[in-house]
Amino acid sequence: MSAYRALILVSMVVFALALSYALTYGILRLEVPLTLRDLAKLYISTTFNPLKRELSAMTPEGVTAIVWDYRGTDTFFEIVVFYGAIIGSVALLGAVYRYPPGPGLSLIAKTVTRIVATMILVVGAAIALHGHLTPGGGFQGGATLAVSITIALVTFSLGALMLRGLTYGGMVALRSLGLIGIVLTVFMVVIASLTAGITAYVFQNQPKPGVPIGMAYSVDGIVFSGTVWFLNVLDAIAVAAGFALLFIVLIGGGVEGERE
Amino acid sequence: MTGLVALLLCLIMGVISLIATYLAIVERDLLKALLFSAVQSTAYAFIYYSLAAPDIVLVYIPVAVGLYPLLLLIVIKKTERYERP
Repeated sequence: MSAYRALILVSMVVFALALSYALTYGILRLEVPLTLRDLAKLYISTTFNPLKRELSAMTPEGVTAIVWDYRGTDTFFEIVVFYGAIIGSVALLGAVYRYPPGPGLSLIAKTVTRIVATMILVVGAAIALHGHLTPGGGFQGGATLAVSITIALVTFSLGALMLRGLTYGGMVALRSLGLIGIVLTVFMVVIASLTAGITAYVFQNQPKPGVPIGMAYSVDGIVFSGTVWFLNVLDAIAVAAGFALLFIVLIGGGVEGERE
Repeated sequence: MTGLVALLLCLIMGVISLIATYLAIVERDLLKALLFSAVQSTAYAFIYYSLAAPDIVLVYIPVAVGLYPLLLLIVIKKTERYERP
């Protein structure tokens, strides 16, 4: 590295440190309030509160409650954007139905990947299934599952995994299953309310004021938070399949003579 | 984690991420630039952890350390490794 670049780097670091010092000690008059704001108090008092059953989301994990209960529509359209990106890349690169199996990496790498990929699969499933109780959720779990699939793709080669079931059609089917499940879960309470002769909200989870119908939040003392658990699991399936689809078309797509 | 330790971790990781970002921008070998970018992402994951945002950490680690480098590796493999001056 030349002295010129080192000088630029040092000046950048000094600038950033000076700016953060100024922000931290309020020299720039941008002080952070130290007390809880009203919005934070509202979320904390209604996230999991059996005494306020009609206002509560009944989800112990606050972030997941906000993502899938308070602001479910936002999350739904985030998912739509993500799938739009994947559909765009599939449209650009083309479907991949067959790919010649490659030799893959060495035996050591394959053995290590067999162990590590399985452990990552377990962690991803735990993050998704426990998303309503511990930090995590559908997208986090799905991305972790996708990491497991992608390291297997790199180690064993795409063709070898396609012979074992990681096919283009299978991933499209899984992704569609996740999406259809999410849409059905969104309308679950609405469908139930139609049979009872009242009207409910889209994305409704627990009973709300004026709508006495809603999901149960626990079975036998095990909290599953109504629709939140279903949405987390289905989102994880859809995200993992979507990422796998993206990597299948990125690795195998755009090659002449390999498509059917 | 006490407040002072969290702030110190935040400070150190912030400086590391700044250095790694600069190196990633000026590096001509795109593979090395990708590794510097992954170092920056790892430092950001520590910053999120020290700011008590474990949900973001859980989505940041697989995306920034696993999926994003692999995506760029495939792109580099399909194009060129060295940036033209």
